[in-house]
Amino acid sequence: MKLNRINVLSKDELQTIHSATMELLSTVGIKIDAQDTRDLLEKHGAEIDQKTTFVKFPETLVKEQLKKVPNSFKLHGPDGTFNFEVNTISTQFATIGTPVKIYDPNNKNNVRKSLLEDMIKQIRVVDSLEHINNSHVDVWPNDVKYTALHAHAMYQWVKNTRKPYGLGCYGKVASQDMINMASIIVGGEKELINKPRLVGFFNPTSPLHFPQIMTNGLSIFAKYKQPTIIAPEALAGSSAPVTLAGLITQTSAETLGGIILAQLYNPGAPVFFGTVSCITDMRTGNSALGSIETALITTGVAQIARFYNIPSRGPGSITESKCFDLQNGFERLQTLMLAAQAGINYITCAGTYESTLAEALELLVIDDELAGVVKRALDGITVNENTIGLDVIEKVATAGKPGANFLGEKHTREHMKNELYIPKLIDRNRRTTWRKKGSKDIITTAREKVDHILQNFKPPEISAEIEAQLKEYIKNVEARSFEYYKKAEGISDSSISIAGTEIKADEK
Amino acid sequence: MFEESMKKAILEWDEDGLKKMCQSTIENKEVSPVEIIKLIGKIMQFVGDRFEREEIFLPDLVGSANTVKAAIDEVLDPAIKIMGEERKTRGKVVLGTVESDVHSIGKDLVGSFLFASGFDIYNLGVDVPAIKFIEKAEEVGAQVIALSSLLTMSMDFQRQVIQELKERGLRNKYKVIVGGSPTSEEWAEKIGADGWADDAIEAVSLIKKLLT
Repeated sequence: MKLNRINVLSKDELQTIHSATMELLSTVGIKIDAQDTRDLLEKHGAEIDQKTTFVKFPETLVKEQLKKVPNSFKLHGPDGTFNFEVNTISTQFATIGTPVKIYDPNNKNNVRKSLLEDMIKQIRVVDSLEHINNSHVDVWPNDVKYTALHAHAMYQWVKNTRKPYGLGCYGKVASQDMINMASIIVGGEKELINKPRLVGFFNPTSPLHFPQIMTNGLSIFAKYKQPTIIAPEALAGSSAPVTLAGLITQTSAETLGGIILAQLYNPGAPVFFGTVSCITDMRTGNSALGSIETALITTGVAQIARFYNIPSRGPGSITESKCFDLQNGFERLQTLMLAAQAGINYITCAGTYESTLAEALELLVIDDELAGVVKRALDGITVNENTIGLDVIEKVATAGKPGANFLGEKHTREHMKNELYIPKLIDRNRRTTWRKKGSKDIITTAREKVDHILQNFKPPEISAEIEAQLKEYIKNVEARSFEYYKKAEGISDSSISIAGTEIKADEK
Repeated sequence: MFEESMKKAILEWDEDGLKKMCQSTIENKEVSPVEIIKLIGKIMQFVGDRFEREEIFLPDLVGSANTVKAAIDEVLDPAIKIMGEERKTRGKVVLGTVESDVHSIGKDLVGSFLFASGFDIYNLGVDVPAIKFIEKAEEVGAQVIALSSLLTMSMDFQRQVIQELKERGLRNKYKVIVGGSPTSEEWAEKIGADGWADDAIEAVSLIKKLLT
């Protein structure tokens, strides 16, 4: 059988949390800044307090909208050849994080500000990996103008990978830019809607607040049916109750709120029931993503997501460590393995450390190896006549000649790749051989793999026409001022209406 | 064409196919047995290179080596003998686990690797008395005696083989190498062996080095 799923909530406890979530949504609700979104919710039976801007979600509204949420969808790379399905059963691995620094052994602190060239390298490495299927705008290009960063990222995506991509749905303008550029790349909006390429990222502000900039972006991603991760990052003890049950209840209300909004913006919009919640370290006030409690929260949320039959997203490979030490190793495997055992369908954060604030391409390839290890664990032990192999046991045991063993048996060759995960980075040499090969630790071996990938990388080809259109688009984005964005997003005067991006509730 | 079919049979572990192929080629006098052995060497080199690049794994290598061994033992060697010739090999290695020790798999792995690398292997099995190693080496005209041991208690029997060789005035006739978990380079030096290897891959390069 497959490896048993782990659970932290009993059936009764799930029901209790569900009831508490419904109570929270219907009696307290969520503070929603955007007027047009509040109006949309009111039209569908929500109760609005115009003064506090809190929106109360009656249970009937929640139940009605949950019926529209798809339980599986496919994600495609730019040219559509690479794709994978996200559903409520399988496990996919991806990046995501907020690294603004990158590991650099040539720097005296071993770390420096990340640049556009680092971002490109990260996209290329993910493209070449076996188990990590998606990259997101992770490695922050500090040398690119903030207001045009998303446009540069989209350009680098199509230039450097065959895999899907992800970006935060941060604002209407930037989100629409990403959709427009993706449409140029894939040959039109229709193609983009039919075969989604982008994963959006919607972060509520805990407790119970949806800032205007986020709902602005969510509305665009939902309109074009690009799967969006709804994932609060609540901290137990500071932005959520210190009790894990309290945090899970509060964040479930936030996640469901986001999911319902997506369905109201566009019924059937694909979403992930996400979490990246963790705890507050009570000595420092810092977040502790690599903590064992994060793994417990992730496990609980995986169960809640299954309860609502929605694909889940949770973090793995996360650590507070600032170097490549044992803490880095055990926290990343502890969170990764437990997320996988919990049944999280989309496990993110590969390649990061220092609470995802730093990236190391070396860790990225190690995480790919770990993803392989974890997948093998999930497959469990297959028991049937063929895998028991009575015939081969008899054959070898009774061969009666020196040198008889299982290695040269067809049974071994037939089953070895399914039964044994053959690692690429993990060292299993005897000491002499290990020494002869340079006494390398795994970071050194990983760096060699990164170098090999980057040296042999062949970028995908794109037509000169598309390239020109994208460059022209970037030029227009570059020309905008920060004030333009503020005005367009309605941050200063609460107007969020800009030409070409109005969302109608009944639009599909 | 013949080489391609042979390669296919070796890669797919088609023992019967390979034997039949060799048999009919010899009968039709298309290719001499000695030439066939050379071709096999070339194919096994290809298999070994793929193994080193981690494109294939141990079972692939051992299975191909077993297939080749069957064809050599049952078809090619007899044919060469009939012609009154002797097959050239890279070297002959007598291999076994020393007296009082019954561990087999590490030593067998060394045997498979050596064979895949073009050496002739005389695997005497486990719990082999010192005298048996020497008798076999004398009989087949070996160049190397390889002694395995997994137990600290049995290690000393490695020394005994070297002692026996000395007493018979045969010590310089053979290269003696030792291996196994409790052994070490220091141990090899202490008992006067010619070399020590930590694993099967190391054993192959050690023997290659000793025989050049």
